[in-house]
Amino acid sequence: MPSDGSRSWPAVWAILRKECRSEWRTRYGLNAALLFAVASLTAVTFAAGRLPDRPDLLAALLWIVLLFAALSSMSHAFVRETEAHTLLFLRLVASPTQIALGKLGFNLLFLLVVEAVTVPLFLLLTGAPPLRWAAFGAVLGLGTLALAASSTLVGAVIAQSRNRGALFAAVSLPLLLPVLASGVAGTRAQWDGLPVAADARLLGSYAVALFAVSLLLYDHLWEE
Amino acid sequence: MIWRWGIFVWIAAAMAAAFLWAPLVPVLQETTRVLYFHIPAAWVTVIALGWSMIQSVLYLWKRDLRHDDHAAAAAELGLLFCVAATVSGSLWAKSMWGSYWNWDPRETSIFFLLLIYGAYLALRGSLEGDEKRARLSAVYSIAAFVAVPPLVFVVPRLYSTLHPDPILNASGRVDMDPTIRLCFTAMLVGFTFLFAWLQSLRVRVSRLERRLAT
Repeated sequence: MPSDGSRSWPAVWAILRKECRSEWRTRYGLNAALLFAVASLTAVTFAAGRLPDRPDLLAALLWIVLLFAALSSMSHAFVRETEAHTLLFLRLVASPTQIALGKLGFNLLFLLVVEAVTVPLFLLLTGAPPLRWAAFGAVLGLGTLALAASSTLVGAVIAQSRNRGALFAAVSLPLLLPVLASGVAGTRAQWDGLPVAADARLLGSYAVALFAVSLLLYDHLWEE
Repeated sequence: MIWRWGIFVWIAAAMAAAFLWAPLVPVLQETTRVLYFHIPAAWVTVIALGWSMIQSVLYLWKRDLRHDDHAAAAAELGLLFCVAATVSGSLWAKSMWGSYWNWDPRETSIFFLLLIYGAYLALRGSLEGDEKRARLSAVYSIAAFVAVPPLVFVVPRLYSTLHPDPILNASGRVDMDPTIRLCFTAMLVGFTFLFAWLQSLRVRVSRLERRLAT
């Protein structure tokens, strides 16, 4: 198995391209996540109305919508392989770490697409005050990284369990609550004109720690 | 057997001293007593999660199911002590803050720990085969432990909280009446040994269950 050295990155890149291609063919995961995001946005704005002067509520609602849209379909990168019985073939050409890194790249892109649709729509529908783009981008970017790292690892574990659909969100959420907490605090701070450095640092160190631990654990995901 | 009686007598004596001998803290008044249960329970919670993580690492390294027994037992007991810490903290919050639950950063972080343990046990329940269950649970347990330092040590210091200072407070000193400190330390030691004893029992039960199954 080509697990290390100079052959590593082409395999990761090939898996990332394969993921994007098979997602583009069906678009089932992306459509589900976008539909979920738009539906929950509609529910939120319908229930709460426009909230231009409540950055505390806006920050909480934005992160909840993003988190749940991501959780609704982020396990499918691995579940798809299990259901189609294709994981074994994938493992013939790549090591567990390469597979996981390819999927991590895909999950990251997936989240960016979901956010590119959800965030502008959210700002528009809720009448949110103008963003401080650098601060907001830092908080959102680091939160996305942590979300992708956690979803990739948990997705790979969950794909091998029995009731995968129901369990993914329940098992992912505890890992993501620190992300939710500091993401909400950072987003609120940027609307309130306060510094976001402390929240961004917490998010960044959490994302890096999660990613580093994942790198050590990927090799133990599949063995039989 | 001698251990069990030793722990029983130790905790009973420490509890009697805490109620009859130790003075009350001026602001906390009668609610001072919760200190002798709440903090040791929270302490054991963190120890149990740490022990579960260490045993998970050892399992992935050595592939010996005995380490998995330890990891699972520690998570179960951790959940038990975490519930004890949450309930005792919540009762204290009712009398000091006026409501059982306020989403104070300390309450939030202990609640997150509850969810982590709950998720770990739910995951174990849905994995089939001893080896697979042990391996994937170990992976999750190690990843979940990444969340513990931010939750227990960073979040409550980063965001404003009404919770009294943790034992190792910002200045790094232990500000306690010597008598209270003695009773408190005795309870801490008692709870730690209680955990060790319950852990050994739970691990023995797991081994017997596996032997019966094969």
